[in-house]
Amino acid sequence: MTDEADRLVAAALRDHARIPAPPRLHAKLARRYLAPRRSWLLASVSALGGAAVAAALVLLLVRPHAPAIDPANEAVGDHLRMLIGRGLGVEVSDMHQVKPWFAGKLDFVPPITFLGDDDFPLAGGDVAVFLGHKAAELVYHRRMHVISLFVFQADVPAGERTVQGFHVVMWNHDGFGFALVSDVSFDDLHALYARLQ
Amino acid sequence: MPLFSLRGRRPPLAVVPDTPARQPTLAEAALEHIDALYSLAVHLTGNASDAEDLVQTTFARALAGAAHFQEGSNVRAWLFRILRNGFIDLARRKKIVLEIPDDTLDVRPVEGAALEQLRFITASEVARAIASLPVEHRLVVLLEVEGFSEAEIADIAHCAPGTVKSRLSRAKAKLRVALQESK
Repeated sequence: MTDEADRLVAAALRDHARIPAPPRLHAKLARRYLAPRRSWLLASVSALGGAAVAAALVLLLVRPHAPAIDPANEAVGDHLRMLIGRGLGVEVSDMHQVKPWFAGKLDFVPPITFLGDDDFPLAGGDVAVFLGHKAAELVYHRRMHVISLFVFQADVPAGERTVQGFHVVMWNHDGFGFALVSDVSFDDLHALYARLQ
Repeated sequence: MPLFSLRGRRPPLAVVPDTPARQPTLAEAALEHIDALYSLAVHLTGNASDAEDLVQTTFARALAGAAHFQEGSNVRAWLFRILRNGFIDLARRKKIVLEIPDDTLDVRPVEGAALEQLRFITASEVARAIASLPVEHRLVVLLEVEGFSEAEIADIAHCAPGTVKSRLSRAKAKLRVALQESK
């Protein structure tokens, strides 16, 4: 049955080995290497001498084409980067040790009070960049699995997504955006979400 | 007398060729591969910061040396070759071990429950299993995932096709063992 095992491993690699680049890297390289794109509309307006209109359109149309940022992809990418070796800035099991660690590293206090429990022990935290914002990353464990919680000062499209086999739950509260990401089941993520409320 | 004269005939309507689509510039073609290059970079370096630097260096070298790129050749393979060379430079600076250890591998047939478990491999298990491989094994496996042939991998990795074959075989066996042990 080794052939079947090889086939399953090959399928797992095909489905899960790719780690997308963070959107900021896409944007940085596009800004550096892609010439601004002008539309035919801009050319027409300029020809008519509509300088004021053109100036306004320039702002909209002459910008380098930046790829759209998908928050769920960003969450999975950041989670994977932590898993494969970035590690955590602080590894502790007590939120009272994690929160002070963020002081001076973030310009906000992550509004999280769940200290972890037997089902979801807290592993630690780190500072990440999420959608261009500095974010607190809190890491919980669920059995042998790892769950990342990103907290940042921006809105995200609330809802649930599955990207590359990872489940992502996103919501907003009180001016903060939250993203939970892991390869545990949605039921487990919902259980952690309930504890975080 | 002919019923009509060819001289006065209207010529058939000229077929106006479609405006040819604009060919992407080398930079545009290259930037389509950011995700694939980053994925290899982050698996090789093991961290996001070095991976981003490596990808940026790759594009800087590629587009600065665009005159050396032969039109019609494979942009993707060319970029991966530059990234691999950039990684070797980085590995030398950071003293990353490139040699493949001459270890023995206990490969047993996978059957029954162990085989069933391989049907439920998660992304984090894959990431950890790849990280457990020597970097040259990671390189060949990930290039194969990207769809390169053994000959193309040999060209990118600067080794003989036979070496690629044996490295792939060994790397996959190690991956299978690592993924079984992760369960």
